[in-house]
Amino acid sequence: MGAGKIAGGKIDHMSLWNKLAGSDYLALSVRIFVGAIFIYASIDKISNPAQFARIVYNYHLVPTELINLFALLLPWIELMAGIFIIIGIYKDGAVLLASLMVLSFIIALSINLLRGINIECGCFSVSSKATSNIISLLIRDVGLLVLTIYLYFSKSKRFSLLE
Amino acid sequence: MILRIKQALFITLISIALSFSLNSFSGDRIPFIGNWPSISGSDSILRPPSAGKGDPPFISLDEAAAKFQSKNVVFIDSRDPADYDIGRIKGAINLPFDLLEEFWPKVVGGFDKEKEYVIYCSGDECELSLFLGREMKSQGYPKIFIFFGGWREWERAKLPVER
Repeated sequence: MGAGKIAGGKIDHMSLWNKLAGSDYLALSVRIFVGAIFIYASIDKISNPAQFARIVYNYHLVPTELINLFALLLPWIELMAGIFIIIGIYKDGAVLLASLMVLSFIIALSINLLRGINIECGCFSVSSKATSNIISLLIRDVGLLVLTIYLYFSKSKRFSLLE
Repeated sequence: MILRIKQALFITLISIALSFSLNSFSGDRIPFIGNWPSISGSDSILRPPSAGKGDPPFISLDEAAAKFQSKNVVFIDSRDPADYDIGRIKGAINLPFDLLEEFWPKVVGGFDKEKEYVIYCSGDECELSLFLGREMKSQGYPKIFIFFGGWREWERAKLPVER
């Protein structure tokens, strides 16, 4: 007793973190959730490369010569990262990729929020009817980033096919 | 950390291999290096004043550029053959609305109703594309799009042309 508390009755955050980071079931749930999001996000883009390329073009961040390469590759990295996170093969590398992708989505959305350009997200579908409120998209991405950072530091080794 | 990066690179390489091989065989493939307009405002959709509710959808320059990269999309130039001969969107078929009776049988015979058709004309107050779009829609072509920015926008954006 007392390991989780420090003098004054405050909760010891390190200890709480150790509990969370050590929890196999929490890690597994988050892995399935995050992995499913990445897989789901990739399907529509893989099926409609030309439309997704147009959305990438509209972000005005990728040089025009590289737009198609980027639009072809990104959804496949999302798909592979999602699958690898769930089944637990090269999970740490997949989590690193996922974190970097979410971080770059946040940066890309923020730049266009500051520019005042109303862009189509292209997050989960290539439809222009999908939500384009950048603030709510940013909140969603920050939530996802928190989850990927949790996985990054999670110490759970269970439920993985290959470490 | 080194291990994570190695794993991430491995996943990226798999993604590159899969995306490139799928894009080499898929019906929706796009060129690895695409053509995109280098001018701003290419996502604004121009519409003729006479456009009505039941008309085919109007698309912007960047949507037209996106469709141009797909193999399942045919561009139709609705201007007179004289204008068509001077310059046209690369690969476009001439179906002049003013000479429709003469051209329709020999041009439309080879059309596939599963494909998408992007119709354009000069882009200067020219409504031939709208009229032809209405006609093709009434003839049972479900995937008709009108690129009202037309030849003028396309040429100004330095997208591929034929002369």
